[in-house]
Amino acid sequence: MRGIFLFVLYRILMRNFLRIIVGVKYFNVESLSKNNQFIIVSNHNSHLDTMAIMSVLNLAQLKKVHPVAAGDYFGKSPLKAYITKLFTNALLIQRTKTINSQNPIELMFECLDRGDSLILFPEGSRGTPQKMQQFKKGIGIVLQKYPNIPYIPVFMQGMGKILPKGESLLVPFDAYVVFGEPSYSNSNEIEEIVIEVEKNIVQLSHIFRKN
Amino acid sequence: MNLSLLSANKEITFIILLIFGLLTFATILFYIWGIVKPETNLIELKIRTKSWWSMAFVFIIASIIHPVISYFAFGLLSFMALRELASISKNVREEDRRIIIWCYLSIPVQYIIAYYGLFNLFVIFIPVIMFIWLPFMLVIKGSTNDISKSMSVLPTQLMLTVFSLSHLAFLLSLPHIQGFNPGGRGLLLFIVFMTEINDVFQFIWGKILGRHKIIPKISPNKTWEGFIGGILTTTLLGYYLRFLTPFSPTEALIISFIIGCSGFIGDIVVSAVKRDIGLKDTGKMIPGHGGLLDRIDSLSVTSVIFFHIVYNLYYT
Repeated sequence: MRGIFLFVLYRILMRNFLRIIVGVKYFNVESLSKNNQFIIVSNHNSHLDTMAIMSVLNLAQLKKVHPVAAGDYFGKSPLKAYITKLFTNALLIQRTKTINSQNPIELMFECLDRGDSLILFPEGSRGTPQKMQQFKKGIGIVLQKYPNIPYIPVFMQGMGKILPKGESLLVPFDAYVVFGEPSYSNSNEIEEIVIEVEKNIVQLSHIFRKN
Repeated sequence: MNLSLLSANKEITFIILLIFGLLTFATILFYIWGIVKPETNLIELKIRTKSWWSMAFVFIIASIIHPVISYFAFGLLSFMALRELASISKNVREEDRRIIIWCYLSIPVQYIIAYYGLFNLFVIFIPVIMFIWLPFMLVIKGSTNDISKSMSVLPTQLMLTVFSLSHLAFLLSLPHIQGFNPGGRGLLLFIVFMTEINDVFQFIWGKILGRHKIIPKISPNKTWEGFIGGILTTTLLGYYLRFLTPFSPTEALIISFIIGCSGFIGDIVVSAVKRDIGLKDTGKMIPGHGGLLDRIDSLSVTSVIFFHIVYNLYYT
């Protein structure tokens, strides 16, 4: 039931809405179908980013994927948290440390141990449109512990124009989502992994702009 | 599919067969060329031809099945073209996001007016009503910084993508003329075919004979040879395809010549916009061609010019 609900919501409704009305174009989506478990790492400018990624996943992947979202934003009220979880299966983490909150990294470990996948935005927040901020080190910690789970770098452009931070009105513009190949980190050092992933995404943006 | 229409209208059937015939010819030609001379790089041409197949297919389906589908399809085309232009344009300020919604909203209105054939409203809705409304909305928003840029960019975008293309749809709303069977549909197929074939022939003649550049600063691939060869070919084709129109032989020659010239104007105007932004293509929608606007840039001028010539000659 849950699978069908997500499938209709993303693969049918959201996908067509994003492609026809909003103007999102996808490149190299095939790289998603090569693995069952993965960590999608993307730059982040808009709430639409998660929707855009989820609307190209297949049924099996949809059921097992968890976008990692800010608990202090999406979990502000119990209702907001419930809606977020209902529609996106989100894993809500606290960006700032509080006494009774669980360690965000451990929550991600639990997910991966179950065989589930993650969608991570290592910039930590949507920031200003069309600008990439420095990556946080969480992605490095996760990839260091799970070197056998591939990460898929994703580069998005234009999402921040469609629905930027602090705006409630969605305005259609052309946007592009480019999927990179599933990769494994070469390093064991957290900082190096973070730099490597960041480089990978920047490289995707260069390849995309050249063609 | 409305097959009764095809059997009843041999002119329309002929032009559709001609389009697919030309595409088949091009496909086979590049295939054989690739076998005979494997060293020539034909990938780009092959991708382009493949895209032509899909574009021809979508266009023909959209224009012959049912008029309502045609209005809807052209409305969608306008929308996508406007979206593309608005996305690449650097002059529009960030606070104009919400104003662009008004531009998008004018599309259904313009096409509904076209559907009901309200000619007087149709020709003033964008160049008068929207041209007053958009600056007014910009002023209401408050920020006057660079406001005159937005005031000029947004209406121009509407003209290039919505006003011009909606004339193609209006062709279908024209009243029936006694003794002229192809009707608005024939005119629509004529102008779209002529515009695109003009593009193709300017490209082909330019590749074969091109020596002298016309405007190297804006479009380095445009040559006098391509321009003249394209226009002559288009004029000649128009003469033989006049069965789709109510034109006399002389009219067909003159109008086809005008189509050739105005197609060139549309082409270089959009090229100049791209140059300003520093882009090669307006988007990545059509493989081998670039964006949607790269393909319909000429159409955005030919459609308006052609429509008003036909309207003034035969429908007033």
